[in-house]
Amino acid sequence: MAAPLFEIHALKHIYAERLVLDIDRLTIAGGAITGLVGPNGSGKSTLLRMLGSIERPTEGDIRYNGKPIAPFCEAARFRITLLPQEPFLMKRSVFNNVSYGLKLRGEKNGIAERVHQALALVGLPADRFAPRPWYALSGGEAQRVALAARLVLKPKVLLLDEPTASVDVASAQLIQHAALQALQEWGTAIVVASHDLQWLHDVCDDVLHLFRGKVLGTRHETIVLGPWKTMADGRYGKQLTEGARLTVSPPPYADAAAIIRFSLLDGTGPGAETGSADQSVRGTIRRLSRERRTGRIIATVMAGDLAFSVPLTEQQLHDGRFFPGQPLDAGYRIDHITWI
Amino acid sequence: MDFLLEGFFEALRLLFTGNPEAYSAIGATLQASGYSMVFSLMVGIPTGFCLGYFQFPGKQGVRTVVDTLMALPTVFIGLLVYAFLTRRGPLGELGLLFTLPGIAIGQAILALPIVIGLCATAIEGMDKKLRIALLSMGADRRQLFLSSLWEARRGILAAGVAAYGRVMTEVGISMMVGGNIKWHTRTITTAIALETNKGLFGMGVALGLVLLVIAFGVNLSVSFLRRRA
Repeated sequence: MAAPLFEIHALKHIYAERLVLDIDRLTIAGGAITGLVGPNGSGKSTLLRMLGSIERPTEGDIRYNGKPIAPFCEAARFRITLLPQEPFLMKRSVFNNVSYGLKLRGEKNGIAERVHQALALVGLPADRFAPRPWYALSGGEAQRVALAARLVLKPKVLLLDEPTASVDVASAQLIQHAALQALQEWGTAIVVASHDLQWLHDVCDDVLHLFRGKVLGTRHETIVLGPWKTMADGRYGKQLTEGARLTVSPPPYADAAAIIRFSLLDGTGPGAETGSADQSVRGTIRRLSRERRTGRIIATVMAGDLAFSVPLTEQQLHDGRFFPGQPLDAGYRIDHITWI
Repeated sequence: MDFLLEGFFEALRLLFTGNPEAYSAIGATLQASGYSMVFSLMVGIPTGFCLGYFQFPGKQGVRTVVDTLMALPTVFIGLLVYAFLTRRGPLGELGLLFTLPGIAIGQAILALPIVIGLCATAIEGMDKKLRIALLSMGADRRQLFLSSLWEARRGILAAGVAAYGRVMTEVGISMMVGGNIKWHTRTITTAIALETNKGLFGMGVALGLVLLVIAFGVNLSVSFLRRRA
């Protein structure tokens, strides 16, 4: 088995007297795309800054290819690059923004050609955009220029923090395409934080859930936030909008978060868990996507205001009953709920 | 008010005929202010960067002191520098009293807090995302410092212009530390004060116009640099 790209041990990071990251152990594989999902404030951006050796953790150890990393360290400086959520361009032309990293590396030859290639990769014609000043760009163009400034470096690791959160659909597609090109052409490993679950399901080899600074499970688990109430029948649960209801085991406290693994409930389910489900919730299929690594079909289902993922088999898909807009009954076991 | 108009024509005559007294005062002013500005910028910009960039215990206290020093009265600085440079003072042996370097020391004390304070403000006003952007592209400490300064260049330029304006126009330090010695330490401002006392408004207005021309030249250069930056 190949050595992991990143290894994290006993990582804790405290910001403004609040524990924002608490990861006991985590490894991230190289040559792959790893997705980070979680609600706002779950620690995704902080984790990316740590992996990018932008910030030093309060405690713990982060290793890149077996070597410990920290701000300014040689092991990571010219290999890992981070694209922050909000594009930031320096007060200089697009050309000088994109070529900045090359100049830091002392490169002198072929800079113009490489800058033009990087701009083309993100869909910006160099003859029109290279001379433009930083203030003459739209939000989507600025984000693409910022990505080009990273791609021109041909990094070993590209960290993307919500790269498509504040851009239009066309820019988002160009950004996603350019990131995948980097993986295919240079073997760049990608770690991406995003709320775009469909994209993550489509492209990621692995998806990690972050919640309150902790890494919790994988893509097939759904984190449901409290508050939880005692229902009319004396059981604990949550009333979702549109009449749906989620019944749970007794929570440790009213605002606890539940980790629930949903599966298809139709008697022809893909695994043993389907048959053993003792609770159900009905929702509507919003989209279908195929996992890049396993080829599995994932249905994203909305039950009221709750979104969750349900794996489907190829056979179930071909039955023709499951497509966006159709209802789907999902099941889960109440005693398998994990509380955090 | 005719003397103002007369002063204007006298100014042109003095400047275009190369009046040695006027040019001596102009030379002394440029020399003293040049020394003081070089020192203030070399020390003040890195110090202002550190004050604006880093967080450390007592930072607010240091900031308050620097802001207070920005308003130091020039006569008070003149008095202090005089006390240090006079023969009985701790630096009396250096023989700097009534010299242009002596004036420059006083003017540097005047300019330094302005450069530090305004540079710190410019650095503090920088977007916090700049640091992440620079580090994410592989900047080391030196590159981080230089690139951050470049990003704050307009604010730093403004700090330099403000300090230069204060240094060029001060009277107290030049008068007390320089002694207003003709052909030697007489600067434009001390010459204006003296000539006005003597009732020679023409010379005073002429030198005042020269000050304005220098200020205009400096601002024109800064404006040009700003457009290029």
